[in-house]
Amino acid sequence: MNPETLLFCILFLPLGAALVIACFGRRHGSFSAAVSVGSSFAQMALSLWLLWGIWDESALQPQAQWLVFGDVRFHMGFLLNNTAALLLFVVSFVGFWIHLFSIGYTRGDPGRGRFFGGMSIFMFAMMGLVLADNLFMMFIFWELVGFSSYMLIAHYFERPAAAAAANKAFIVNRVGDFGFLIGIIWCYLHFGTVDLAELEVLAAANPEMLLTPISLLLISGVLGKSAQVPLHVWLPDAMEGPTPVSALIHAATMVAAGVYLLGRIYFMYTETALTAIIVIGTVTAIYSAICAFGVSDIKKILAYSTLSQLGFLVAAFGMGTRFGLYEQELEGARLFGVGAANFHLTTHAFFKALLFLGAGSILHACHHQQDIFKLGGLWRRMPLTFLFFTIAVLAIAGIPPLAGFHSKDAILFLAYEESQVVFYVLVLTTLLTAWYMGRLYFVTFFGKPRTEEAEGARESSWVMWLPLGVLAVYSVLGGFMFVYPPGLHFLIDQSVMHPVGGDYTLMLVISVACGGLGLALGYLVYFRMGAESDVVGRRLPGFHGFLRSRLFIDEIYGFYVRAIQQRVAEFLAFLDQILISGLLVRGSAGIAAILGVVARGSFTGSLHGYVYWLLAGMLLFSLYAFGIFG
Amino acid sequence: MIAPAVNFAPLTGILQWQQGLHVAVPWLNGALLLASILFPLVAGFALLLAGPKPGRALGVVAGVAFLIPALFAVWLWSTYAGFRGEGEYLFRTDISTGLDAFGISLKLGLNGISAPLFLMAGIVGLAAGLFAIQSGMERMHAYLGLLLIMLSGLLGLFASIDLFFFYFFHEFALIPTFIMIGIWGGRGRKAAAMEMTIYLTLGALLSLTGLIAVYVQSGLNSFDMITLREHLAVIPLATAVQQYAFGLLLFGFGILVSLWPFHTWAPRGYAAAPASAAMLHAGVLKKFGLYGLVQVAVPLLPDGALSWSPVLIYLALGNVLIIGFVTLAQRDLKRMIGYSSVMHMGYIFLGIVSLSTVGIGAAVFLMFAHGLSIALLFLLSASIENRTGTTDLFCMGGLARQTPVLAGFFVAAVFAAIGLPGFANFWGELAVFIAVFEFEKWLGVLVILGIIISAVYGLRAVAQIFYGEASDALAGHVAKAGAPSDLKGAERAPALLLLLALMFSGFLPGTIADSINRSVEATYRPVQVSLSGGSSMPAASQIRRMTATSPGFPWESLEVRDHHTAGLWLPPDQTDGGLFAMNGPDRTNNP
Repeated sequence: MNPETLLFCILFLPLGAALVIACFGRRHGSFSAAVSVGSSFAQMALSLWLLWGIWDESALQPQAQWLVFGDVRFHMGFLLNNTAALLLFVVSFVGFWIHLFSIGYTRGDPGRGRFFGGMSIFMFAMMGLVLADNLFMMFIFWELVGFSSYMLIAHYFERPAAAAAANKAFIVNRVGDFGFLIGIIWCYLHFGTVDLAELEVLAAANPEMLLTPISLLLISGVLGKSAQVPLHVWLPDAMEGPTPVSALIHAATMVAAGVYLLGRIYFMYTETALTAIIVIGTVTAIYSAICAFGVSDIKKILAYSTLSQLGFLVAAFGMGTRFGLYEQELEGARLFGVGAANFHLTTHAFFKALLFLGAGSILHACHHQQDIFKLGGLWRRMPLTFLFFTIAVLAIAGIPPLAGFHSKDAILFLAYEESQVVFYVLVLTTLLTAWYMGRLYFVTFFGKPRTEEAEGARESSWVMWLPLGVLAVYSVLGGFMFVYPPGLHFLIDQSVMHPVGGDYTLMLVISVACGGLGLALGYLVYFRMGAESDVVGRRLPGFHGFLRSRLFIDEIYGFYVRAIQQRVAEFLAFLDQILISGLLVRGSAGIAAILGVVARGSFTGSLHGYVYWLLAGMLLFSLYAFGIFG
Repeated sequence: MIAPAVNFAPLTGILQWQQGLHVAVPWLNGALLLASILFPLVAGFALLLAGPKPGRALGVVAGVAFLIPALFAVWLWSTYAGFRGEGEYLFRTDISTGLDAFGISLKLGLNGISAPLFLMAGIVGLAAGLFAIQSGMERMHAYLGLLLIMLSGLLGLFASIDLFFFYFFHEFALIPTFIMIGIWGGRGRKAAAMEMTIYLTLGALLSLTGLIAVYVQSGLNSFDMITLREHLAVIPLATAVQQYAFGLLLFGFGILVSLWPFHTWAPRGYAAAPASAAMLHAGVLKKFGLYGLVQVAVPLLPDGALSWSPVLIYLALGNVLIIGFVTLAQRDLKRMIGYSSVMHMGYIFLGIVSLSTVGIGAAVFLMFAHGLSIALLFLLSASIENRTGTTDLFCMGGLARQTPVLAGFFVAAVFAAIGLPGFANFWGELAVFIAVFEFEKWLGVLVILGIIISAVYGLRAVAQIFYGEASDALAGHVAKAGAPSDLKGAERAPALLLLLALMFSGFLPGTIADSINRSVEATYRPVQVSLSGGSSMPAASQIRRMTATSPGFPWESLEVRDHHTAGLWLPPDQTDGGLFAMNGPDRTNNP
């Protein structure tokens, strides 16, 4: 079978599964599960076959023209290169094991058909995003993953919180996509193409054509999808969805799409844009790590951890790519950012999916008691989950020789070479990461069960612990190349700047010190000082309140939506109702008058007039927005 | 184009046979076009005259009368799309009406712009008809009869080459709308019908005046669109004449399309209208004005269009932004949908006002897509109202548990309307955004803001109706009227029809866009050439073309691409070969 046909099947298998489920599977949960998991397995098998057996590591780009309007042409096509191959592997592989886990997790859920239909749509959309060979096509699947994410967050739609979270996720992503779309369109008009391969050639030949505004607008999409500050607010709320969804979409794959996009068009960024990327990523990393201490919901802690790790990825991309920009004569340096970010993306996908599935296993056993302070003593009751979760915690803490150590080390080393400030911030984040993971880990698994739910926990069935085991294996070995198809080695091995010699020792010491100290602090502060509730909340309520407030960013957005957007909308609706409809139209002379006004106004065109009207209107709006009129 | 999707052997066979038939029996398709207009007309009057009949027979007769024009429309559209000509008018007939002295005769035909809209009218007509048949209205025979007459007018207006009949068919469709709102409408129907009548009659009169102005000033003694176009392309009207004639047409058409600030009739009227009338009016009839701009006003009066475009830009921006915000404040489902439809008209206006082949082609595509999606939304909102007894969004909630299929349809319809890829609207909006951004960057940015606004109100409505817990009001209604049932098969069929059409044209937009693009190129390239060469045009440089393919660009195909075109993928030079392939001949690539 030739690779094009194979890619075609990999992309459309899950869509076929989703269609079958939509037509026949609504009332037949187990049937839907079988169809969806089967398609996911086939997808994984074909991907592995392609990557291990068929693909010769040369870039492939089958393409077809899709739509023509005048001189604007839209194409559809696949671009299979190193970055796409990596994500093909990660998405299909992690995707399948999470699908398998979901069979156990959703047993008895009346919405099972809908759940698996959504999962299959997601696998289709995500694959399309990975394989897309141009930015328009990428945007299409970018929106579609957003849609499947919306559907799956709203899975428990009876809960108002789930409905609100789904809306928030989609709308915040649309805000990011607003900029992203402008960026794509501008890019298209500026370069004459959005084809990734053509853009790469163009950008290499004419570096002066790169525009910072376009670069920044293209980053805007990343802010939404990868939940970077200031558009990060949707991801913690998205934990309202079922846990496998959190693992697949909101930890391992979809949220990494932003980072993937960065790597896919790494050549499109100017130095200013790369600096902005570094700042955004670093701020997200440290901010989210701090936020993680303010929540006690096991999934939300993991969500903030995901945010923080995504910040790492984004910062790593920025630093490495900027480094490559400075050191152009160094061979392969242009790909340092892509390599480091994608390497950590891969290992993160394994251990974070493992953490979420572990959490899912716990929640399934503990009747969805999500507060870690109401769990406890689970290691004795769920030994396998405990074992695998331990591996994941050690991996994320960066303890050698687990996967997280290798990839995080590479990022810290990049920071070490590139920027002192970022280096210190990221080291601090590493410490905090181990600390809050230690908090989560010790409080959840050790001590005595603190509620009946935790008391009655039992180990989950094999469909749930087997995926945990596989992901655990990859969390242990993910730093070594033999577990990956040979086609991926170029990106996540040769393109990663690994420390050597004295630097290696330094990074090793820092990593072990931060990881060990963080875990120890987690144990000492949150477990030894009493795990029945948050010790910071007991001893330092003011500081705990600060941690919980998350800098009031959600509140600020809430204020904007309620107090400004809604009031402006109501004010305009009022004007629409009263002025245009009531006075001008209903009055018999109104129509003639308004025609006259419009016709006259358009021909005099006094600029002053417009400005005064604008100012008066803005004044009126702001008065209204602040509640002057009640 | 991916080969399997197009070269599906049985389909290709049918399409080839269709082309053969078109050549072998030249009169056939013209006759079908005429028949698709006459059939519902005759059936409609027959139903009106027949008086009340027992339900089942009436439904069957009306169903057939709705189905046949739809089938004819599919046939004619696919014949046109498969023909792949230069965007000319096909299926032409000319029937003398005894008004030859005025240059009026019933000239029918379809070009690449009108063929997809004719198809859309047929599909929406069938969906509205099927929905009406199961609605159980009082005096059903009259309701169905009026809908059929309206459908006949809608099909006629897109098929008319003669400007007089173009207008005449519009009135033919408009008058049943007023009657239907007045008789079968909901709360506030009298006032809504009155406001709508005054407004739309005014708009129609203004546009009629404009059309007559063109007729008189051209001095050709002909209402024939093609004659006028050919003549005026060579000898354009004086700029001053063009300006006032275009102004008349713009405001006439603008009122009919609910251009801001002449839009207030629309949400009120649609909120009061019975579902099928709202579907046909918002979906199809409202496109009359836009269609008139694209097919008549701009090609015949390009200078006028140019001098009015600054005004139109600001008004259309009012549609997108001001009405977008007004939509956010609505708490009545039907009014919200009505306002959202007004908002989306802004995109179409802006596509037209960019005066580029991209923008105008995209505007027509969006007309097609919007017609389907707004009809689906009005259909579903009627289904929701039937189950909750209200259209107040605050008096609903949690409906998805009892009516999962209805919820699924509504979610799909909302996402189609807010431009999710996979549905037709996405492509239209995307191409409009490109055209507008190319025209003026700041304008593009403001217009693209619309994707956020529409997501906010669309998703909010979904959540308020279907998610969360049932509100007290809904609980009270359920206690009285019983638990709501899910979407019945008879309601599901028209909804599915519209949804499938939206998804078909969303996945394979080229099937619809190809003919549009050909006709827009044929209609507008000469205009653009004459504008840039004409001396009467001070602002000729304002007409812009997309610069994506300007010479000297490194446009050559890349190495990687040429080696991997085997298998499922046809090489670029073959994509044009297949019948019904998606793309036009490659006009811009280097030879």
